[in-house]
Amino acid sequence: MSIIGIAIGITTIVALGLITTGMEDLVSSSLNDVGAEITVSNSSSVGTNAGLIDSSIVEEMKNRTGVIDAAGSLTVTEMNMDRLKSRDSDSSGFATTVVGLASEKLYMMGIDNVDGKIYENGSRDAIIGAEYAEVNNVSIGDDLSVQGKEFNVTGIFETGSPFVDSGIYVPLDTLQDVTDNDKVSCILVKTGEDVNDSAISDKIEDDYENFTTLTSEEISSIADNVLGILDTATLAVSALAIIVGGIGIINAMVMAVYERTKEIGVLKSVGWKSRKILTMILGETLVLTMLSGIVGSIFGILIPEVGLRLFNVTDFALGYSPKTFILAFGITIIVGGIYPAYKASRFAPTEALRYE
Amino acid sequence: MDDNQIVNEGAYPDDEYIYNETFIGEDGEEYYYEEPLISLFNVVKEYDKGMVKALNGINLDIFEGEFVSIIGPSGSGKSTLLNMLGALDKPTRGKIFIGGIDLVKEKDLSEFRQEKIGFVFQLHNLIPNLSVFDNVQIPLLPTGMSNKEMKERISEIIRAVGLEDKRNQRPNKLSGGQRQRVAIARALVNNPSIILADEPTGSLDSKTGELILNLLMEMHERYNVTLIIVTHDNGVAALAERTIKIKEGQIIEDKYNY
Repeated sequence: MSIIGIAIGITTIVALGLITTGMEDLVSSSLNDVGAEITVSNSSSVGTNAGLIDSSIVEEMKNRTGVIDAAGSLTVTEMNMDRLKSRDSDSSGFATTVVGLASEKLYMMGIDNVDGKIYENGSRDAIIGAEYAEVNNVSIGDDLSVQGKEFNVTGIFETGSPFVDSGIYVPLDTLQDVTDNDKVSCILVKTGEDVNDSAISDKIEDDYENFTTLTSEEISSIADNVLGILDTATLAVSALAIIVGGIGIINAMVMAVYERTKEIGVLKSVGWKSRKILTMILGETLVLTMLSGIVGSIFGILIPEVGLRLFNVTDFALGYSPKTFILAFGITIIVGGIYPAYKASRFAPTEALRYE
Repeated sequence: MDDNQIVNEGAYPDDEYIYNETFIGEDGEEYYYEEPLISLFNVVKEYDKGMVKALNGINLDIFEGEFVSIIGPSGSGKSTLLNMLGALDKPTRGKIFIGGIDLVKEKDLSEFRQEKIGFVFQLHNLIPNLSVFDNVQIPLLPTGMSNKEMKERISEIIRAVGLEDKRNQRPNKLSGGQRQRVAIARALVNNPSIILADEPTGSLDSKTGELILNLLMEMHERYNVTLIIVTHDNGVAALAERTIKIKEGQIIEDKYNY
């Protein structure tokens, strides 16, 4: 019974620990900044060109002081499409981001390592993120449909950013062609070293009405804020897990020790010192903790893993960190082991012998 | 000056009271004051901030090798007195000396209990998941005795209480009388000078109770151990050489039976 009680406490701490660490990993990797330092977009929401930018402005951006490169990118969203012609897909209902970007500018999205080969501009080839490939079971050589047109997958890449890795990348000119549009959604701007990105970005906003910019510093500041909030949230969840699990563990251990009150009274009456009783109970506690810890950790891993598979959650992975297990075992030994053992060693012998 | 000193003033042995030294009596015979093994001076035990007085001024000497019964109704304080004698509890006021050791002053009494005292409880208090041998071994574990010596000592004492064939049995396989025999073996294994038995026959039928008392008396004689039994049974009390009657925390009678 004690093992079950302690194991439940450890399961709670481990399971919640894995989930919160997984959340932290997911958010911090999602917020990884990409190659470009400044992203320029059009914030106007009126007219036929709402949200779009003329391609000619890309060159203007490139020629600005402090800027070493600029690339226009066109983004379209594919909703509920039958992406795979060659096989039956169960991924309907997904919204996929299709990005049109010239092949030589892919580095500005952090795409610099492609398994297979990068598309040529003007071709009907596409490269896909590793996450997209895994979720939709698409591999090199497969065909997929963008805006009703067929594209051939020539490569798969992985940047570590789930936003980028879950997208489809195609040549900008081809995407403009199939969408019958010669504009871009945003301009990625790469600045030189030792340049003040904020000053350049402010200047762009001053020079172009309706243009908004986002610098990588602003992105990391947003990331820091989000991670800060998440840190507080995970701390709260961990604290809750520790309280719930810790109380369960203390309860189980205290019960186990109290059941032996009379035995402890007998040991005291025959001359055992408090220190020897403390050592004995601690030794037993350690064995109990280890057994419960192993059982609890197994369930702490199994329950969320099975849960993720049961609900078909593929874009979230548990965060395995030694910290979680050290925390669970540490709490068990300290609060669940030392405290009850200390209490037991301090029992007055007459009280202990009277205990029923 | 605190209450302790006031109550005990003049109650302790003084210089004129020299134990074990001979003197010539009025009849010309040689006498000596035998030093008691146990001496209690104005022992008071209070509970609930003095609201309950379990012992109310006990003065008592018990000599080495005596067989003493302490009798009294429930709540009279006899078990409290036994706990004081066994160094399981300390008095609120007063002094207790056993074998020259001041139990009130002594901070760690576990060593004293281990060397001097053997307890037999009404409900035997054996550890259920240990064998007879292991239960008897418990008091020897903190002594640092060698394994060989320990084994010999335990075997001897198990033989003495007649449980040789049960040494590997667990307590739940034994009868009530056999369990109490194990408890007696456990109480004797460390060669104590005092055996304290709290209602040792209380949970046994009369025939088994008699056998257990006979065994206790036999052990008392064989090992010359001081035997103190707490009971509320007049028949049991009468078997002792000396009977001390307690009522409301005070000794109301102290007599030798033969």
